[in-house]
Amino acid sequence: MKKYSILIIVLSMGFMFVNFNIEEKNIPQEEVKTDSAIYYVPADVIQIIDKSCYGCHNSESKNVKGKGKLKFDKMSELKLYKQVGKLTDIADVVKNGDMPNNKFKKNYPDRMPTKEEQEKLISWATELAEQLTPPE
Amino acid sequence: MKKGKAFWLIIFFLFVIIQFVPAGKPDTIPENENDLIYNNHIPESIVNILKTSCYDCHSNETSFPWYSHVAPVSWLVNRDVIKGREELNFSEWESQSKMDKAKNIDKIINEVKGGKMPMRIYILMHSEAKLNEDARQQFVDWADNYAESLFE
Repeated sequence: MKKYSILIIVLSMGFMFVNFNIEEKNIPQEEVKTDSAIYYVPADVIQIIDKSCYGCHNSESKNVKGKGKLKFDKMSELKLYKQVGKLTDIADVVKNGDMPNNKFKKNYPDRMPTKEEQEKLISWATELAEQLTPPE
Repeated sequence: MKKGKAFWLIIFFLFVIIQFVPAGKPDTIPENENDLIYNNHIPESIVNILKTSCYDCHSNETSFPWYSHVAPVSWLVNRDVIKGREELNFSEWESQSKMDKAKNIDKIINEVKGGKMPMRIYILMHSEAKLNEDARQQFVDWADNYAESLFE
């Protein structure tokens, strides 16, 4: 039985090492370490998440529903299969425009992701989910 | 004929007529090569939960009690079974990718933990399908471990 231990997944060339714990705009250098994998999130994806998602989807958020569904800062603490589940969920809800939701759209229209940003988010989440899934 | 009597006669005739409306009852297929239970080593207590509380809607092994053949109840039952199988079908479990299995386990855990599944109406008609706190926790723990083992 193979213990799934991917040490480094480099998504593509020219990536910056980024940290999922976004507290300030200044992004420190750190990779995302989980129990069984280390992966990197490209800086531009981090910026999209920061702009359009993190406000509701972090552990300190006042948005109970959002916090309950997904916390970006605690993602790496989840079991691997759950992270994959969350990543595919992210791709789905962004793809069908369910997220960001209408409330966010109303209150922060300038922070809605552009079409290009949506696509970046979707392909990042999908590719990462695939990479983190062991072979059949 | 008194008005009251006529009314009930009409109701009775309507009742008879709707029995002949095609109900679209889904097939029951007892053996499915991609079935979850058939293809995995699952503890008996969990198998019992699956079969008693889940499989009627979420597999091809649906058993239809007598009242589920009587319209309009049959319409509701058929709809629930069709929707249930669409959403999740344990009889087709092994045909999924690992990613889809992970996704579905995540959903299952949320629904069972949150008490949304099994559906209340189902438990009403099948009291043996009721899951107490312990059973739910047991089931959720098993599902979690199973998904984890897939990803090792």
